[in-house]
Amino acid sequence: MVLGGFDIVVIALVVFVILVLFAGVKTVPQGYRYTIERFGRYTRTLEPGLNIITPFIERIGARLNVMEQVLDVPTQEVITRDNASVAADAVAFYQVLNAAQAAYQVSNLENAILNLTMTNIRSVMGSMDLDELLSNRDAINDRLLRVVDDAVQPWGIKVTRIEIKDIRPPTDLVDAMARQMKAEREKRAQILEAEGSRNAQILRAEGAKQSAILEAEGQREAAFREAEARERLAEAEAKATKMVSEAIAAGDVQAINYFVAQKYTEALTAIGSASNSKIVMMPMEASSIIGSLSGIGAIAREVFGDGNNPPSPPRPRQVPSRTNPPVNPFNQTPER
Amino acid sequence: MLARIVAELGPWSWWIVGLVLLAAEMIVPGFFLVWIGLAALAIGVLSLLFWDAAFWVWETQLILFAVLAVAATLLGRRLTLRHNVTDEPFLNQRGASLVGRTATLSEPIAEGRGRIRLDDTIWRVTGPNLPAGTQVKVVASNGRDLTVEPL
Repeated sequence: MVLGGFDIVVIALVVFVILVLFAGVKTVPQGYRYTIERFGRYTRTLEPGLNIITPFIERIGARLNVMEQVLDVPTQEVITRDNASVAADAVAFYQVLNAAQAAYQVSNLENAILNLTMTNIRSVMGSMDLDELLSNRDAINDRLLRVVDDAVQPWGIKVTRIEIKDIRPPTDLVDAMARQMKAEREKRAQILEAEGSRNAQILRAEGAKQSAILEAEGQREAAFREAEARERLAEAEAKATKMVSEAIAAGDVQAINYFVAQKYTEALTAIGSASNSKIVMMPMEASSIIGSLSGIGAIAREVFGDGNNPPSPPRPRQVPSRTNPPVNPFNQTPER
Repeated sequence: MLARIVAELGPWSWWIVGLVLLAAEMIVPGFFLVWIGLAALAIGVLSLLFWDAAFWVWETQLILFAVLAVAATLLGRRLTLRHNVTDEPFLNQRGASLVGRTATLSEPIAEGRGRIRLDDTIWRVTGPNLPAGTQVKVVASNGRDLTVEPL
């Protein structure tokens, strides 16, 4: 089988058509955007799906990933405002929102974002003290995001977040911080202990004071009442005396004598009948007992109307006995 | 040798070519062999009808095949465009997916520019001048910037 010129042309045509179709049909996967350049100049962006481009004059310029991407910011040394040198690393997330701008406004996009982020981490952290740095990560992230997101505006991308991953001060600084914290806590503990003991002592003193006051008040009250009682007693006595003296004034002196004599003899009876001791207390002048009897006599005379012949006092009875020797009032010894 | 095989197989050679191309489409990404394969199958159908006709020489078949391949491709694109329904219309269109959302201005809009916080990130917004703290609604997006108006 010999091929003529026309036959070869036909075969070439078929091959050519297949190649054209291969060049013109472009399927863009989801998550990507392809830029189209017509004679090297950007014209449009292909969306995901089946696309047909004009072969020869159009070609694919850049294949851009429009999914959100993670960028690891490597560790770098940062000097804070108070001249502490810390190592900090971060992570940034960015997303291409405008494929054409991201493709043609900046070359080497990732490197650009990375450098921008690193320099801004330096400037933001360099404007803070170390303590602020360690406690204000949110603020740092926020400031970084604002600055970097504004800076990448012309590149058609959006930096969605920048997070500081780790801030590592030098070891000796960390040790100093730990010591400082320990000292702070110890100081607080000591202060609390001192306050506790102070309060306890104050409370104890207050208790003692209160109890002393209460005791004194009790004594004062008792004294008042005692005095009152004594007053009442004295009043009663005075009243009684008054009544007696009134009675005497109204009646006769002999009435007193009668009473005294009665009491005297009663006392003697009591002494005599005491079983446990046989001490007989006699007045020093035994005759005064008899004197009381003479009082009785006087009463009798008063009563019986014999005023000029006073009866002789009866002789004191003497009871000689071994068991009851006469008592010497100056030498009292209890009998066993 | 090729001519001999084709002569032996007759019209079925086109069927074989078409089916092989369709199978290759499964393996090779790119979504363009399908149309060529369909064109080959169409030629196969025509070959069954006109195999013994005088004008149905192999050159005619090849030219017709090339034309049909281009036509099938254009037709296929039109079909895929019409049936390009997705249940996630806002995939990879971050700005557009925020339309209709409400947010609070974290900075006042001055000279037509401000900022809001949405989904834990900051968006630049354009809109009428408003004080900070105003509730706003996203009405449009042009990729990077959102257009808002007060609720």
